[in-house]
Amino acid sequence: MSIEIQGVTKVFGDFKALDQIDLTVPSGELVALLGPSGSGKTTLLRVIAGLESADDGSILFDGEDATTRHVRERGVGFVFQHYALFRHMSVFENVAFGLRVRPRRLRPSREEIRERVMKLLKLVQLEHLGKRYPGQLSGGQRQRVALARALAVEPKVLLLDEPFGALDARVRQELRSWLRRLHDEIHVTSVFVTHDQEEALEVADRVVVMSGGRIEQIGTPEEVFHHPANEFVMHFLGNVNVFHGRVEGGKAVFGDVAVEHGEAGTATRSSEVEPLDDEAKPAKVFIRPHEWDIAVYRNGRPAMEAVVIHVNAAGPVVKVSLLSESGEPVHAELPLEHYRSLELRTGQRVFLSPRKVKVFFD
Amino acid sequence: MAGAAGHFGGTNKAGGRVGTRDPWWMRWSLTVVAVVFLAVMLILPLVIVFATAFSKGWSGFAAAIAESESWSAIKLTLLAAAVSVPLNIVFGVAAAWAISKFEFRGKDLLITLIDLPFSVSPIIAGMLFVLLFGAHGWLGSWLAARDIKIIFAVPGIVLATVFVTVPFVARELIPLMQSQGREEEEAALSLGASGWQAFFRVTIPNIKWGLIYGVILCNARALGEFGAVSVVSGHIQGVTNTMPLQIEILYNEYKFVPAFAMASLLVLMALLTLVVKHGIEWRAARSHAQAVDETVGAAATA
Amino acid sequence: MVRGKRHRVLPGFGLTCGYTLTYLGLVVLIPLATLFLRTSSLTWAQFWTTVTSERALFAYKLTIGASFLAALVNSVFGLIVAWVLVRYRFPGRAILDALVDLPFALPTAVAGISLCALYAPGGWLGGMLQKAGVQAAYAPLGVVIAMVFVSLPFVVRTVQPVLADLDQEVEEASASLGARRWQTLRRVVFPSVLPSLLTGLALAFGRSLGEFGSIVFISGNMPGRTEIASLLILTRLEEFDYAGATAIAVVMLGMSFGMIFVINVLQTWSRRGAV
Repeated sequence: MSIEIQGVTKVFGDFKALDQIDLTVPSGELVALLGPSGSGKTTLLRVIAGLESADDGSILFDGEDATTRHVRERGVGFVFQHYALFRHMSVFENVAFGLRVRPRRLRPSREEIRERVMKLLKLVQLEHLGKRYPGQLSGGQRQRVALARALAVEPKVLLLDEPFGALDARVRQELRSWLRRLHDEIHVTSVFVTHDQEEALEVADRVVVMSGGRIEQIGTPEEVFHHPANEFVMHFLGNVNVFHGRVEGGKAVFGDVAVEHGEAGTATRSSEVEPLDDEAKPAKVFIRPHEWDIAVYRNGRPAMEAVVIHVNAAGPVVKVSLLSESGEPVHAELPLEHYRSLELRTGQRVFLSPRKVKVFFD
Repeated sequence: MAGAAGHFGGTNKAGGRVGTRDPWWMRWSLTVVAVVFLAVMLILPLVIVFATAFSKGWSGFAAAIAESESWSAIKLTLLAAAVSVPLNIVFGVAAAWAISKFEFRGKDLLITLIDLPFSVSPIIAGMLFVLLFGAHGWLGSWLAARDIKIIFAVPGIVLATVFVTVPFVARELIPLMQSQGREEEEAALSLGASGWQAFFRVTIPNIKWGLIYGVILCNARALGEFGAVSVVSGHIQGVTNTMPLQIEILYNEYKFVPAFAMASLLVLMALLTLVVKHGIEWRAARSHAQAVDETVGAAATA
Repeated sequence: MVRGKRHRVLPGFGLTCGYTLTYLGLVVLIPLATLFLRTSSLTWAQFWTTVTSERALFAYKLTIGASFLAALVNSVFGLIVAWVLVRYRFPGRAILDALVDLPFALPTAVAGISLCALYAPGGWLGGMLQKAGVQAAYAPLGVVIAMVFVSLPFVVRTVQPVLADLDQEVEEASASLGARRWQTLRRVVFPSVLPSLLTGLALAFGRSLGEFGSIVFISGNMPGRTEIASLLILTRLEEFDYAGATAIAVVMLGMSFGMIFVINVLQTWSRRGAV
């Protein structure tokens, strides 16, 4: 089922949680709502579910207006951040709940219920824990029970609020790829909320970046990562070095470095830059840590001089902290082999040239 | 811990935490002060009740209870409790639902209002009903013309009991339901449950123990209320005397054995209340500890 | 599209809130309003002479003074009891802990007669006190004793959870910085339980102000000597002097409501201190 959100606004007291949100989730997609806390992502999810009513705007399911439909009738499966498992019911009873509360004529027989619950428990790999109570499960197991419970009512939309937020790093990693596989298997339209950019980029078909109750960008993980629409997205999707500079004659200039946008063939979408305009315009220049080339000698490419301050070589990617001539801290990342061949030392003077820059005007 | 239990002077709960251990003389003297204080203030009054009640043996005790006036007092007390407890259960659950599941203006004021009967002296509580329904009260002449008796009659006793027991269930449930939030109910609704289904299948099982605790406290107060009931009762023996009022009369007539025999029944009720209360607390603490243990265990084996 | 009515997901707000307000209105608010309306039928001068009569003034003084003394006694002993119950382990601790709630559960009339029997001149404790030249029952001291009994749980039960939650690392930090044990207790532990101690004191004081059942037996009810305000109200009522009873009741209620305010302020303070 597809979801269309049209001009949805939600205000809590003086706080505008959602400001004129427009968003379409195509049928069968797995979409991430990504943003910092307070960006409105959870509110949007709850509005879609019908747990919160929008002050303005409408929600369409498969083109049909569902704005005033009660959560009971929306046919959504909602997985709560803290799972909201019924603590007095066993795992089996939790999953069976949605079937048992149906009106008698729609209720499956006891046998059918049993069969469907067992199938779901198998799907979430908990078939041996049906008799346990939520208090006796680990966080990852509770999460999967919550998912099975939501799926039991055969929802047309699955909504997950920070599904991995309360789990430790290793379990989170496992569940992520498991959720992706599960989605590929059952193909139900799914929306999940997260504040973890890595999670969104890894799991989702499409990422919706939100901040301050607005949508900043919608795109595939590649799009939002490589072609961020604005400064906020640039900052939010990973570390980045920022320089105050200008654009002049089609080149980005910061410090004494001037580079072309789209240099070395890795074209940035520079629609913001008007190449015909020769006049200097102040701008911010963004360079991701892994987009630096580090050289020990000047090699003719435009480069800035910097001194190595600290090297962290624990891992496949080496993180190097540097201080530019003008006294700005710079972060760079390079593959371990490359780092070894350079033989970098603390205090050493090096030359940094960006492979790719992104410019946003002030 | 068990090995140290033999010392009367008490050991530190901190066990190995040397830095927070009090010197022995302090442990010893504070423990003695606390134990003596509680023994004199709480245990002695209990002891004297039973000692006097049974000072003429079982037969004296039985004879005192078997008196017809005592019996009718017991029955009236049970009646007052049987009316006021259910009324205040419904009220407490409704109030806690409204307060814990919704946001609205004036919520703090509403909570204060619910607690109000606790702050009103029982004498004043009883007096309110005399002012309303008494012979010289607002509705007094209207009621007299229709031959309806409320004050110095059973309805007045029930009303006064309801008034003083209003807050008990509500104030147990409100913080409990507030801490539980509304996620489980929302989950039930999102799974297709109706409001009543969510209430009976999710809410009630979750608040069961808090509800029971509120009910027994409410019941203890309903059975034991003295001041408010004393004002509206008129002390008609065999008709409008509750157990506490009967105790007062017997005591003032120097019938100590019957007075303390009745009192001992109420003491048993109070002790039972404490046992249930601590049973519930113990159960909650244990199931919490168990949940934590098993979560750790499950996480370790996962 | 804009909807005027805010839609709530969980059902039952109208029903439960409406029921709550109706019930409270009928059972609590209308009766209370009657009291204040009754007072307004008095002229200001009548009201003033009633509430400032010598007998009434003495009753307030005794009630407030004894309540305050009882609250003070309970603060000192309550703090010790809470500390001992939380920090020390000894046989019978669990039973004593459970018994602390007894005054909440025990009918006041029962407390009244057993305290009276204990402290009466011929009683177990009364006899001992008499030999020491102290009269407890039928004297102001008896009023204080009864109030100590009924308000005993408040200080213990407000201080106890705070002590239990107190991070022992803070005490260890204090010790590691060179503080002696009593310095740690005085400068680190005591300040952190002080807000809850004062809350407990206020609760105990408020409870004692309105107490009746446990006091009437032991006090002897002598006007101008052991007559508390609640009893004076009852006496006026029994004389069918509704105006007099109402006036004094309004004064007492005013004090109780003042205590609600004080307690609210104290609780806000202790929550803030709880970090």
